[in-house]
Amino acid sequence: MLKKASSVLAMVIAMSASGMAAAADEVTYQLDWLPGGDKAPVYTGIQQGFFAAEDLEVSIASGRGSTDAITKIATGQADIGSADIGALMAARAQDTVPVSAVYMIFNQGPHAFFSLSDSGINNFADIAGKKVATSPFTSSNAFLPLVLQANDMPADAVTLTKSDPGALGPMLVTGNTDAIIAWVTNIALFKQQAASAGKDINVIRWSDAGLSLYSSAVVASDKFLSERPDVAKRFMRAYDKSVRFTHENPEKAAADLHTMVPEVDAAVATAQIGDSMPLTFNEISEADGLGTMTPERIATTWKWVAEANELSVDSLDPETIVNRDFMPAAE
Amino acid sequence: MSQTPTEAAARRALLLNLSPWLFFVGLIILWELVCRVFSLPNYVLPAPTAIFSAFFDVEFSRWMMHLWATLRVALMGFALSIVVSIPLAIAMMRSEFLSRTLYPLLVVIQSTPVVAVAPLIIVMMGSDDPSRVLITCLLTFFPLVVSTATGINETPEELIELSRSLDAPTRRETWQIRIPYAIPHIFSGLKVAITLAIIGAVVAEFVAAEEGLGYFIQFSTSFFKIPQAFAGLFFLAGVSLLLFKSVQWTQQIFFAWSLPKKK
Repeated sequence: MLKKASSVLAMVIAMSASGMAAAADEVTYQLDWLPGGDKAPVYTGIQQGFFAAEDLEVSIASGRGSTDAITKIATGQADIGSADIGALMAARAQDTVPVSAVYMIFNQGPHAFFSLSDSGINNFADIAGKKVATSPFTSSNAFLPLVLQANDMPADAVTLTKSDPGALGPMLVTGNTDAIIAWVTNIALFKQQAASAGKDINVIRWSDAGLSLYSSAVVASDKFLSERPDVAKRFMRAYDKSVRFTHENPEKAAADLHTMVPEVDAAVATAQIGDSMPLTFNEISEADGLGTMTPERIATTWKWVAEANELSVDSLDPETIVNRDFMPAAE
Repeated sequence: MSQTPTEAAARRALLLNLSPWLFFVGLIILWELVCRVFSLPNYVLPAPTAIFSAFFDVEFSRWMMHLWATLRVALMGFALSIVVSIPLAIAMMRSEFLSRTLYPLLVVIQSTPVVAVAPLIIVMMGSDDPSRVLITCLLTFFPLVVSTATGINETPEELIELSRSLDAPTRRETWQIRIPYAIPHIFSGLKVAITLAIIGAVVAEFVAAEEGLGYFIQFSTSFFKIPQAFAGLFFLAGVSLLLFKSVQWTQQIFFAWSLPKKK
């Protein structure tokens, strides 16, 4: 009899616990691209229970580029997500998009030239007069003329061809092009591809060649921030924890990502995390704090973005797109 | 030792039946040989054996999940376009006014690339099944409207006159004379539409999806897993072929009379 009562009691507790779980605040997180190692923090946050600890139930939606992600957040299909802060600035300069940046994920741009290590292209100056392939829609294209000019080269110093992103690696390896423009978050993937042809690649980072700016940020809809500020704060606290966890445990984070998206290979994800973490944890984050957006660097970023998008620098006060009230450290 | 004419005919028939398969197998072998002889790397053109093993690297349950996502959208879009197109074609056939007003609009819709409109639909309707179904429907309904309308209009004039001389109501004229005459045309429209339905579902998945064969292919390419992308592509082609055949079988089973008479 007692046994039965205790089992009923256990059931009641279990039911109320699940009832509590169902009452958790729901948040939809919008990625700016498909799942991958560079997007691991939000996945590991779910798997490690960081979001659950804040009484949040987070679902993830994949995206097709920063503009797509910003549009979906602006129209309320998602509450918060990741997108390039430059894309948000350009959007806000031209339209009233109710989305703000709340946390910096990559405080450095991911843009780079990749070349074969036996190509003789070893530093930025070597790129002059070379054939370079890029994908049609990457934000890197707009920055290319600027970074060339910053290095005393004319904007047309390279011969540019555009090609499908999936074709860039093969073009480089087969010698169809001297160099490609790609993101440092994918170094491991390109190295793997080159290795299958017995070759190795050089990575020439634009951030080392003068193009120093913020890139991927956590952006949220203003409606979400104003109507559910407490949820947003809890989300950012858990997110910050997830980013730190990913940095310290890349393999665990990759395994968590693999659990949620079995198509992503854990080893590849680990390599991608290794490639992208230096964009988050570096001398800038050490000086300013993880996730911080300083007014100076926001202003510098906007100058680059305005120039790249042929917008007047006066068309936007870049500070208006930033909302620092949800920084975990500000608690 | 000469063969009897019937034996020769039987052999010829067998060869005719087997020829698509033989051609397909030959093509695969040639493909494998080209890859091996020129030692083409996987990212240029994966060999059939590489694609085959990539197929089995993906868990069966994942394949089924992606398949169901695509199939669900394709079939719902297909069903929606049947529900919309056939009544629309009948209405347009009956009313000169409707036909004149709607036809240009339909042509405009058909000529607008769905790939360009798809992102807008996703923004307006959200990234769930309904918007993907609508995208699929937009791609599939036009051939159905045109083929149904053509079929209805091709009903022999003398039959219509006969039915009118017997004072048959328009409803009976439509259901008992015009629609049956249109059945072969409707089925050719359905065959085009079902293959377009798969394309529509894939287009929609390219724009916004978390699962589905189109999403899977895009995903594989983004990780440079070209053999896996090819495996997805072949799977998709197989599904498309099977759906096409299902439409054919439906016609054979339920509308056998509408098929051309065999010699």
